[in-house]
Amino acid sequence: MGSLIPEEALATIGTVVSRATGEVRRRDWQRWAVSVGETNPIFFDAVAARAAGFREDCAPALYLQYAILGVTRLEDLRADGSSGAASGNLQFPDAPKRMAGGESWEFHDHAYHGDEITSERTVRSIVQKQGRSGPFVLVTWRATYVNQHGAMLAFADTSMIARP
Amino acid sequence: MSQLFFEDVTIGDEITPLVVTCDETQLFLFSAATYNAHRIHYDKTWARDEGYTDVLVQGPLQAGLLSRAVTDWIGPRGRLVSFSTQNRAVAHPGEELTFTGTVTATNELSGRIDLDLVGRRGDTVLMPGTAAVRLPKRSAG
Repeated sequence: MGSLIPEEALATIGTVVSRATGEVRRRDWQRWAVSVGETNPIFFDAVAARAAGFREDCAPALYLQYAILGVTRLEDLRADGSSGAASGNLQFPDAPKRMAGGESWEFHDHAYHGDEITSERTVRSIVQKQGRSGPFVLVTWRATYVNQHGAMLAFADTSMIARP
Repeated sequence: MSQLFFEDVTIGDEITPLVVTCDETQLFLFSAATYNAHRIHYDKTWARDEGYTDVLVQGPLQAGLLSRAVTDWIGPRGRLVSFSTQNRAVAHPGEELTFTGTVTATNELSGRIDLDLVGRRGDTVLMPGTAAVRLPKRSAG
């Protein structure tokens, strides 16, 4: 089988493919938290969060990646309903079935209600591999998350698998 | 939610397992909270056309459940320092999933604890991972 990776995708390796800024909202992180079944008071209760050493109730660490999502028009969604906006709209026409591969986070500080987070996502690698069920494409990104004061809150290496 | 202290932890300890059976409502709410319209999480026909028996539990939801197991265990004064996961196998709604981990290293100077993590269905590993946390010390009050 030939390459599943178009030249245009290869050309993005090492480049920033998306920049996004979004505001951290208590209601939004709490919606995320309850969908994960979270009951941790640091996400819901300012008094309990302060007692635990936080400035006030804070966003869950893994929520940060969603605070920066923008708006995608219906006609811009892929056929499978997914949006490529946050990952730079990399196209793999010969490998349209996408799955999250993995994620690796380092957390340096917390995000609070009203914070403005800017994220930049850089393509680290795009490689074709052979799995048990056939060939697939593995894409790896690094995303940084910086608040309005210039403090690095977190960075994340994430990967995506695309199959024919 | 109780507070764990550094002095309470020994290498080889297992964290308190989190056992969860996700249903379609939880999947839908997670997709809504993450602004994710990927059909594979709510459209059974689409999921079957992609070769699955049912819609899929989102990988990031499994990761969220695994991180919840860790942060529930460390308590409000513990801090999550790093967190890594890999998606190895898919999960479907209605399946009982267990999220747990084991202490692999402790550092008295920094209060740091390293963990190997796993999300599994029975004996099937869905999501291996690692995490580092920092715990308060009783000696520090």
